[in-house]
Amino acid sequence: MDFLISHNKKKILLNIIAILVFVILWELVAISVKSPFLPDVVETATAFIDLAKNGDLEGITLFDHIITSLGRIGAGFGLACLIGIPLGLVMGLFPITIEGSRSVIDPIRFIPPIAWIPIVIVLLRGFSRYVFMIWLGAFFPILITTIASIPRVNSVHINVARVHGASRGYIIRHIVIPSVLPEVFAGMRVALGVGWMVIVAAEMIGGALIGLGYLILKYSELLMIEYSIVGMILIGIIGLLMNEILVQIEKRLFKWRSEVVV
Amino acid sequence: MKFLFKLKSDFLNGGAKLLSEVQIENLTKSFNDLLVLENINFTIFKDEFLCICGPTGCGKTTLLNIIAGFIPATSGSVLMNQEPIDLRKHHLSFVFQEQSCLPWKNVLENVKFGLEIKNKVLKQKISEEEIDRKAKDSLELVGLRKFGNFYPNQISTGMKQMVVIARELSVNPSILLMDEPFGSLDTQTKEFLQKKLLEIWSKLRKTVLFVTHNIEEAVYLADRVIILSKRPAKIIKTFRINLKKPRNKLSPEFMKHREEITNLLKSENPKIF
Repeated sequence: MDFLISHNKKKILLNIIAILVFVILWELVAISVKSPFLPDVVETATAFIDLAKNGDLEGITLFDHIITSLGRIGAGFGLACLIGIPLGLVMGLFPITIEGSRSVIDPIRFIPPIAWIPIVIVLLRGFSRYVFMIWLGAFFPILITTIASIPRVNSVHINVARVHGASRGYIIRHIVIPSVLPEVFAGMRVALGVGWMVIVAAEMIGGALIGLGYLILKYSELLMIEYSIVGMILIGIIGLLMNEILVQIEKRLFKWRSEVVV
Repeated sequence: MKFLFKLKSDFLNGGAKLLSEVQIENLTKSFNDLLVLENINFTIFKDEFLCICGPTGCGKTTLLNIIAGFIPATSGSVLMNQEPIDLRKHHLSFVFQEQSCLPWKNVLENVKFGLEIKNKVLKQKISEEEIDRKAKDSLELVGLRKFGNFYPNQISTGMKQMVVIARELSVNPSILLMDEPFGSLDTQTKEFLQKKLLEIWSKLRKTVLFVTHNIEEAVYLADRVIILSKRPAKIIKTFRINLKKPRNKLSPEFMKHREEITNLLKSENPKIF
């Protein structure tokens, strides 16, 4: 145990050093470039305090920006899970559907969400634009990991159920799904990350004047880059926190595994 | 003379009448052009401990998989009470060579798993408490009652195999099929589990079909040992081991049986490959 505590302390210490190194490098670059459009750490911190205290130019608080963006990611990511997991299971169980749909699905998944913007603008309005953009980012990682997890179900586990006369449905519910759950969950974690990264693109075209992505775009148009950087840092930190929460949930759910790989 | 021998063997079987449990008739299996099993015929009698012994790769596991209904036979049949085996109707249990605890269930839940399926398949209305009690009794039998709340990755390989045996016995099977269940264990654990299995078998008197390539294990456990040739597997000979259990592996009679089978297998299969 002593070893573990000292190991944790070491990790924290190293991370503090890493943050300091990052800040110093940033400061050095800012000083050497000397551009009014590359704010240093102090200017960015001041901008953060201003945003936190007074909200943005329209008086929208930072909290509202964050909550709004989280709501959008929740909807897009939720929809991606709702469609991606069942579809992935069905496709995984009937591999012919994978082979048969390759020529359509594979090219689509390599189109970056940003490329969809013109079509989305034409076809969708309001909230559905955000949801669709985020869904695009999150759907394929979930679908692909779910499909890929099915062949890795241990056939011995299936035979354990078969020998006692279990039906196919029973085997799917009691062997296949519990077996693939950890991998599906890992896929969800990746998908949430991708979906969150798409938020800026989604809020570029969404129309509403709120959201962290929108905040970044608005202030960069006003050339108040230090405010944009605050938005960037917040997106980064929130992404990290969401990932951390999912890792903790994974550890709880799958405590039977020796270790959850991050 | 034969009649006398029969009487003697009946006597050693505790005078039990030899009832057929499973009959394997003219069983042949080929994978594409590769003939694996050739015209296998034998009967597994009720309450007997039958071992199948043969060189590695001869098709022992294939034979067991066909009996369990996992793969179809090319021709021939496997009958239980004169009808083809139906996994939903007949109570079969299987202990696999590979680790077959379900890792997401704890030890007790693993043992309950077989009972829960049976409950569902046979549309029995066994209460949750009854299943729990049966599972705990079964764990008690293998000496792992205290480990109910452990997850498989928290216990040793030998213990995991005992959990599987508890699970497979809990459903009160008509026949227990075992595919080299102790094959991957170290010598001490193997000997301990062999002893334990024999103890349980003596208590419950289950029909067991046990596949192994380990001759000593077969002579230690079995009432009869069927020897298969190398591929395509045919039955070369059936040995009856009329020694009182538990057997002393160092006794001259034991050694004699062992040597006899070893020599037979050697003459049949001078080269391993």
